[in-house]
Amino acid sequence: MSGADGNKTEGMAVLIVGGGVAGVAAALDLAAVGVRVHLVESGPVPGGRMAQLDKFYPTDHCAFCPLWTDIRRLREHPLIAVHSFSDVSSLEQKENGVRAVIRYRAPAIDPERCVACGRCVEVCGPAAIRPSGAHAYPPVYLLEREKCDRCGACTAVCPSAAIDLERHESSREITAHDVIWAPGFREADISAFREFGLGSHPDIMTALEFESWTAEAGGNKGRVVRRSNGAEPRNIAFVQCAGARDLRLLPHCSAVCCMHALKQAQWVRRRNPAVDCVIFYTDLRTVGRGYYEYALRDIQGSPVRLVRGRPSLIHPLPGGGGIAVKFEDTLTQKRLMWNFDMVVLNGNLENSIRQNALSREALPHLDGEGFITGRDGKASPPACGFAAGPADVTEAVIQAASAAARALRAKRS
Amino acid sequence: MGMVHVILCRCFGELDSALDLEGIRTRLEGHSDVASVDTAGSLCLPGDAAAVFSRVLERGAKKVLIGCCSPFGRGNVLRDELIRGGLASSDVVSVDLREGCAWIHGKDPAGAVKKAWNLLDMGLASLGRAGRSDNVTVRVQPRALVIGAGASGLSAAATLAGLGFETHLVERTAAPGGLLNLISRTYPTGESGPDKLKGFIGEMERNPLITFHSGTRVESVKGYGGDFKVRVVSSGEAKLIRAGAVIVATGARVLLPRGMMGYGSLKNVITQMEMERRFFTGKVDCTAAVLLQCAGARSPERPYCSTICCPLSLKNAKRVLKEVPGSRAYVLHRDIMTPGSVLEAYYREALRAGVQFIRFDPQKPPDILGEEMFKGVEVDDAVTGIRRKIDADLLVLSTPLIPDPENQKLAEILDLPVDRYGFFEETYPLHPVETRVDGIFICGAARWPVSSDQAIQQGETAAMKAAAFLSHEKIPALLQSPVPGGKAGHARADADFCTGCGNCTAVCPYGACRLQKMNGRSVSRVIKVRCKACGNCISVCPNGAMQIPERSDRAVGEMIRRAFREVC
Repeated sequence: MSGADGNKTEGMAVLIVGGGVAGVAAALDLAAVGVRVHLVESGPVPGGRMAQLDKFYPTDHCAFCPLWTDIRRLREHPLIAVHSFSDVSSLEQKENGVRAVIRYRAPAIDPERCVACGRCVEVCGPAAIRPSGAHAYPPVYLLEREKCDRCGACTAVCPSAAIDLERHESSREITAHDVIWAPGFREADISAFREFGLGSHPDIMTALEFESWTAEAGGNKGRVVRRSNGAEPRNIAFVQCAGARDLRLLPHCSAVCCMHALKQAQWVRRRNPAVDCVIFYTDLRTVGRGYYEYALRDIQGSPVRLVRGRPSLIHPLPGGGGIAVKFEDTLTQKRLMWNFDMVVLNGNLENSIRQNALSREALPHLDGEGFITGRDGKASPPACGFAAGPADVTEAVIQAASAAARALRAKRS
Repeated sequence: MGMVHVILCRCFGELDSALDLEGIRTRLEGHSDVASVDTAGSLCLPGDAAAVFSRVLERGAKKVLIGCCSPFGRGNVLRDELIRGGLASSDVVSVDLREGCAWIHGKDPAGAVKKAWNLLDMGLASLGRAGRSDNVTVRVQPRALVIGAGASGLSAAATLAGLGFETHLVERTAAPGGLLNLISRTYPTGESGPDKLKGFIGEMERNPLITFHSGTRVESVKGYGGDFKVRVVSSGEAKLIRAGAVIVATGARVLLPRGMMGYGSLKNVITQMEMERRFFTGKVDCTAAVLLQCAGARSPERPYCSTICCPLSLKNAKRVLKEVPGSRAYVLHRDIMTPGSVLEAYYREALRAGVQFIRFDPQKPPDILGEEMFKGVEVDDAVTGIRRKIDADLLVLSTPLIPDPENQKLAEILDLPVDRYGFFEETYPLHPVETRVDGIFICGAARWPVSSDQAIQQGETAAMKAAAFLSHEKIPALLQSPVPGGKAGHARADADFCTGCGNCTAVCPYGACRLQKMNGRSVSRVIKVRCKACGNCISVCPNGAMQIPERSDRAVGEMIRRAFREVC
């Protein structure tokens, strides 16, 4: 960096844990000022949750196209090393930074050599091979070792010699001056809370499941159909705060779900106006630019019905009679039971940092609700995205640049 | 013999199933635009591509056409590799023969071959006729200008200086701090506004890299990202600051609720800002306070949520209960906006502390009681359905942040867009502090209502983006683009054909087209660095005077002709 006082950031290296939208943004911001970056991503390609979204609020654009541009810049940047299929297995604080061991779970199909021809899929008896997802860039195929019977048919037909069933885990050590945490979120398991009915009926699903189930690039090509019988649903219930704002599981508000449900309900209506959509909410939280106007389309135009209330029971009716949702509409004080064809559960999002096989000492300090924070009232280690607290895309990328700036300033001072 | 060297990738035979590659190769060799044709088994494998590329480059190839997979597969990567090898970006074209031809038309080999041939032929037309824009280079002024010294501006300046960059901080009032000066305690930590500012102001005073200009306004801005010439005026005296990047951090105002809910007519009806002042001076002597949310927000005139009012109210309600023993505090609200973990916990704390929450229907706003003196409210509690009368002696209106009235003028000076309310607008939610003018960034409440912590964070974000700009000594204009590989070129106005109608200046979103006097008449001139090659100007030019050399009418016209040419 050619600042007024010289090239002090040149030669610096930063380790970023997590290759979702926050990690990608932080990596590009750091590389743009001449810092070397190691980006560790557990999946096959960077992109994280945003790449799994079909649509993006409040623009209603596809989520993955704008992200792809950034991922392409990331992959081509000479200062950024992307470690896919990897996680951090140990982390040691050193005098002048950290020493990390990156565990590489070598995939049987090498994404660098795979040309996505799909010949392996055709010959695989136990169906252990599948494409990595409609939104993966560049497209790669994945082999699930648990399903593989090691017959070797795929290796024989692979034209680019990308498949090696004997490939094993390996580790490499890297040193960096600082770590930025961006591990993102995952859906917390709420199947133990029987009132949500998750797992009791194929048409009760989580919001992320619903997103890929109805994605335009997914198997149903944007059609809204029931998972149980492939028929078009007459109505769908979107249940907010499922497991969140709930002291039994997640006390926090996941911040993204109100807008996410509004988006999903509006897209259902756009694709099939005959489907009635009901959102069961507690507070409709719409605080970003254009968010409340987005919600107003429903409040005023009322194509989507908003009910303030938390269902107390979601239960499949016998004989394929749909799904009963029992609730109180708190604004009319009426206790009701409605019958739905599909139920989408929204809100059960938690920090996924513990997925890294790190010891307690190596993990950053987490607050009582599982989010990264400073130890003993000290400043938080550089963190961005959901791991630092529930955040949507816009917040996450703001936090990413801010975390990058803090990491750099800390080392320069 | 032609100029273009063609490389065809067989993709391990993926193309052969539907495309007669040998036939295509023979036909290409006879094409008048083609110099040579190479076929590679696969350009994917490390080494293979390098071997073919170096062979072609050794032949002195200046223009290369690659027939391979889709740009979203590896087509773009291969193209970029050749550009790194020394070719101009306008002189390498990759054509999708796999996904777009062999795969999707696998059942119609004749159709697949025709499409492949047309695509290759179009690529040849483009390479043979496209011109090249001059690659002007901007010498970057290694300093930043931050407009506004509130929380976000101070944070941006401190961050930039912390990263080693000279920074000029311009503030129109006499002192730094902005709205945060007026906040007696910030949520969620409880730190006072002035205390929160202290570190930043100290840094501003201490750090020799920061120059503070108080009582100063920005009068005009010329130039472009990397080299802005900014004229600032302080008590009638003008100064010129040359800055590589500009950060807009002008903050927002708080709506004054004149004529609303008894404000101005009843005593003891105040705003949250006045409440803060009372806390500062220690004069809070109510027995029951009603805090009314969304006063002037989420209304037809201002259909947006101002983000900060709910947590601010929670804080002040709790504080009334704590500081005035025996008092009561009621928050009258619509939705309680406390997203996330910290704010949600803050909400739970307020509930535990005994703050009473009453939800009302916006169609049935509370009735304000009292003549001359505020006496209480009557409100339909939406959750119980019961009408409640609350005796109280203080009504605090939570009014929203509104755009600064000077935003409009500053937006014109900087050539930036504002949204329908007057807040500065970003290019895209994924790039939330970037604007349509490269090198100008927005942060804090000038952009959208934010808390003090968010303002500080966004200041850091904008500083980081500005630092990326300032880190280069020179920036080639063609690379000034978020798209990998840079932009297609820049538009050029032919002065001989330009009549100075101004159509182009009206449609250019980037302020790149300007009318200029030349030999006594008006002609359009394009600021190359600002141009993003969108082509708007070309489509509205009545005389064909505007062209992007890389996408000239001649090249595009020939491409269209060849797109429909029958395969012989």
